[in-house]
Amino acid sequence: MSNARSLTRNRISSATGAGAARSPFGVIGAVSLHVLIVASALFTWTQRFEIPEPSDVVPVELVTVGAKTNIAPTVREMPKKVDTEEPKQDIQPPPQPEEKAEPAPSEPIIQKKPPPALPKPRTPEPQKKRTAEDEFNNILGTLTAPQKASPNAKVAPRTTKGIGSMNAATADLEAYLKSLMYQCWSPPAAAPHPEKLIVDVRVFLNPDGSVARPPQLLADSSDPFVRAAGETAIRAIYVCAPYKLPADRYADWREITMRFDPRDAAGIQ
Amino acid sequence: MNGSSILRFARLIGAALITGLLAAPAHAELHVDITQGVVQPIPIAIPDFIGTAPQSAQIANVVRSDLSSSGLFRPLDPKSFIEQVRDINSPNFNNWRVINAQALVTGQATLQPDGQLRVDFRLWDVFGGTEMDNRGITAAPESWRRIAHIIADRIYERITGEKGYFDSRVVFISESGPALKRRKRLAIMDQDGANPFFLTSGDYLVLTPRFDPTQQTIAYMSYVSGKPRVYLFNLETAKYEVLGTFSNMTFSPRFSPDGNKVVMSLEQNGNSDIYVMDLRTRSSVRLTSDPSIDTSPSFSPDGTQITFESDRGGSQQIYVMNADGSNPHRISFGAGKNGTPVWSPRGDLIAFTKQAGGTFRIGVMHPDGSGEHLLTDGWADEGPTWAPNGRVLMFTRGGRGGLGAQIWSVDITGRNERHVLSNASDPAWSPLIQQ
Repeated sequence: MSNARSLTRNRISSATGAGAARSPFGVIGAVSLHVLIVASALFTWTQRFEIPEPSDVVPVELVTVGAKTNIAPTVREMPKKVDTEEPKQDIQPPPQPEEKAEPAPSEPIIQKKPPPALPKPRTPEPQKKRTAEDEFNNILGTLTAPQKASPNAKVAPRTTKGIGSMNAATADLEAYLKSLMYQCWSPPAAAPHPEKLIVDVRVFLNPDGSVARPPQLLADSSDPFVRAAGETAIRAIYVCAPYKLPADRYADWREITMRFDPRDAAGIQ
Repeated sequence: MNGSSILRFARLIGAALITGLLAAPAHAELHVDITQGVVQPIPIAIPDFIGTAPQSAQIANVVRSDLSSSGLFRPLDPKSFIEQVRDINSPNFNNWRVINAQALVTGQATLQPDGQLRVDFRLWDVFGGTEMDNRGITAAPESWRRIAHIIADRIYERITGEKGYFDSRVVFISESGPALKRRKRLAIMDQDGANPFFLTSGDYLVLTPRFDPTQQTIAYMSYVSGKPRVYLFNLETAKYEVLGTFSNMTFSPRFSPDGNKVVMSLEQNGNSDIYVMDLRTRSSVRLTSDPSIDTSPSFSPDGTQITFESDRGGSQQIYVMNADGSNPHRISFGAGKNGTPVWSPRGDLIAFTKQAGGTFRIGVMHPDGSGEHLLTDGWADEGPTWAPNGRVLMFTRGGRGGLGAQIWSVDITGRNERHVLSNASDPAWSPLIQQ
């Protein structure tokens, strides 16, 4: 605005010939002074308004990817869920994330044995340690594959520290869990009034990603259809366990509320 | 804008931002919205029932077969079981988790001192290790198949929330003999095709049988004495009677949900209209009076509306009117002709036959005409009938190349198409049998 005003003033002064009476140094000095003022004003302006928007804290692009795109077509192309190595049926005994890798051919004994110190057939310790996060990142990477070049993929972990509450910080967790549940959830197919069968289930996880205690259905289970819908959700939660989530962010995923919405999930509308 | 106002503005923004940050919870719970899944049958383990009754293994077999036929369950191969059930009350869930069973049924069948068959079952949630349902049933030993169907219905209902349909029967037209001299007899069977027997001798042509909701009576059209009329057949007494004293042809009968009325078509001088007859008073009321062919009426489950087919708009289409005949309006649009509408017992859908592109296919739509959805991809599928829970349909599939007609079933999602019976047509599903 001040820039415009100074230009106007110059034009007026030259038209009236007033400037001719002054020395050329005065004109140059005045012009450069104006330029300086304008530049400093602009500089001040931008700096002032940059402060409240810490661009390194809010990864706008990642939020969009996680929360909005959801990626149904991409999900299908994902490598099959990583659970093949884990028994995924053991829920009660909390730890033992890497107990028993392959399904026994037919002997029930393997299940009964409390695996003492069996020689681990494959995957040495150090590699295993990395797998949970690697797999999480791998799957997340696949989910965001189209934006592979985007630096936001790396920004995500840092945002946890930056903001500390649930939104951008957990977008990657949400995207990952959504993609998992897509494979594990068998929605109530063609049930009447699917709009009434949207259920919330609270999930409690151990640090190793196993289910800590029975998921809690946050819905009126006296209605047989709602109860059945809730049970499809709870079965999905068990089928998907254990969850390979980043251990250093356990506080973020120790308790999760999952909303299962069957309206567009299956059946006729 | 001078420097001080800029400063004030910046402070304002800063304050708002800080307030926003402080207002946010220190640690909120993670929320995830799941809107997509893959419909898959639930893996269920149903080991042979224990107990002294000779039918123990057969009962489990029928339960497995029923649940599997629904397409919503996947009974696991008993060969994969690592636990032999010795006590129906205390399964070791780890042994069932390891084979990826999500539900488990344990059962026991014993013959009582009085000769009756006693069957107990338990349904277990394998993940949670909890009992979901249990029941004991006592009946004559020869009713073991019905006991199995009742158990399958309980399991189906507990897990899906929806009533089952396994303890039900189907009347149909049995077809035999060469194509030009086909013998059509009224017959009945269990919904799974077991226990079939004939209800009529085959001396007269019979068509369009329909079950009374009270189950003792079937309405059908027959050409006794060369005159097509609607008849009622009592399953208990094996006696039949002509419905009404109409001088003209009557056809396409269907009971009202309370079983007190029959709605049907009456033909006069090439014009068919819909009439409803009260079975208690035998008085009838004309519901349509359009100079066109109105036929295939079917009541809504609450009895307040009737869907029917009519060519009053130029081609055969589906209409809905109030039960007194008022407010008839077309609900089927789009390509082709649509006919034989049947209202679902659940009330949410109308099944029909679509004729388009030289093929006949089974479809469903909502009673307002929305959500049309074709379920089959045959070339001669027609005449749908609903399972008592409104979840499954049976229909006639025309045979190709001189093969006889067949009865098939399909789920309302279009999945799980199954062959039920050959050389048979015109199925009509009964309600659940009264226990």
